[in-house]
Amino acid sequence: MKWAAWLVAMILGGLLAWTSWGLFPRPALPPWQEATAYWGARNAVAAIVLGARLYDTLFEVLVFAMAMVGVRLALRPLPKRRARPPVIESPLLERAADVLVPAIGVFGVYLAASGHLAPGGGFPAGAIVGTGLLLVALARGIRALAQEFPQPILSQLEYGGLAALLILGGGSLALGWRGGWLLTLANMLILIKVSTGAWTVLEHFAAHRGEV
Amino acid sequence: MITLVLSLLAFGLATFALRQRRLLWGVVGVGAHSLALAGVYLSLAAPDVALAEAAIGFGLVTFVLLLALRRAGRLVVAATPTYPLLYQQGERVAGLEWEILKRLAQRLHRDLEILWVPRQEIPRLLEAEEADLAAGGFLPAQSEALPLSRALVPTRLVEVRLGPGPLGAVAGGRAADFLPPGGRRFEDEEALLSALARGSVGGAVVDLLRLRDWHFKGKIPEVQLSYFPDQLSFHFAVAPGEEETILAALEELLDELERTGELEELMRRYLR
Repeated sequence: MKWAAWLVAMILGGLLAWTSWGLFPRPALPPWQEATAYWGARNAVAAIVLGARLYDTLFEVLVFAMAMVGVRLALRPLPKRRARPPVIESPLLERAADVLVPAIGVFGVYLAASGHLAPGGGFPAGAIVGTGLLLVALARGIRALAQEFPQPILSQLEYGGLAALLILGGGSLALGWRGGWLLTLANMLILIKVSTGAWTVLEHFAAHRGEV
Repeated sequence: MITLVLSLLAFGLATFALRQRRLLWGVVGVGAHSLALAGVYLSLAAPDVALAEAAIGFGLVTFVLLLALRRAGRLVVAATPTYPLLYQQGERVAGLEWEILKRLAQRLHRDLEILWVPRQEIPRLLEAEEADLAAGGFLPAQSEALPLSRALVPTRLVEVRLGPGPLGAVAGGRAADFLPPGGRRFEDEEALLSALARGSVGGAVVDLLRLRDWHFKGKIPEVQLSYFPDQLSFHFAVAPGEEETILAALEELLDELERTGELEELMRRYLR
């Protein structure tokens, strides 16, 4: 009986695909290099994400910001845990962090800065910088690191970046701003947003749910 | 072709990650799986997606899991060395309780770690959640309200008298509760034994298991004992708040060991 249901579903799906294929004539598109260059990019993905589909990206960033706000608000009523003694790690990890973290940071910034020319962009760059921060947290303990990044400054950076990104996106959508400078700036702002967001989540969970 | 190979590799690595008993290997498998998946995206001509997958799946997620594993992946046992129950033999740890703890850690997918601490430190460590379990001939003192496992090995407290002078006991345990007024408390067994040898205490309150160990090691001669009436036994204690998790798993394990006769076998091996 189950296979019959599958069969019916597949036949219906096939019919739908077959009929809808010829229904709408496809518009003739310009060559993609031209369309991409219109937005000031060489990487087609950057032209789509920060150009033709900028709305999607702006709302995606907003969703991310809402998730961070949610973490802050949901964890606030929970009591802060006392600091527990840090887990002793091998000196190998600490040395590795010292050597790797600068390289990771530079690579992240490079990916964001060159996102409109080659594969990359703000989101993976932010994740890479966040990973670098995590590596330091693994080597030194989260609390030690949290003291170096005071929360108010981080929030200002995060919300400031978000506001700048919205202004930039609004300018692009309403006033027709476009070009390589806009894509670079937007990627950089996304990098700041994503990496500070990742750090904020980590720090809040560590403070309220126990040191890790 | 390369896409197919990489997809199969990703599938294989995911299976590998799921089948690991040690959580650390599971995390390594998840990271490797993400990397293979990034390779699949790359071979499908989607370098941006591949980069995001590598940065988030391989980098961020693996690190978050590792960070969580550092604390949650360990089963920390605060213990005092007690000869046939939990003791160090050269580099290795052995004993009846060790056998049980080893099986428990495997069941909970955690790495076992033993903190050797003085007896009186144990309740504080459990309450501060710095340790999950207490072991090593744990006889709960009357003032200690820690969640306990079932009675493991029956024992009794005795008063040993070697000469004149006050009695001594190890601070923090049940034996110290039975110390008459004027008795002296010592940080650990070593301190108590050396005080006995010096003659600064005339006797000790101690449980039968430790007393037997002292005899075997030639620390004290055969002497007259007087028994305290209470029937006691050694337990495991768990950190408050872990009753549902660690304690439940421990009881389940002990049930199973009892049913299969393994517990009896272990008792025979270590206690006779």
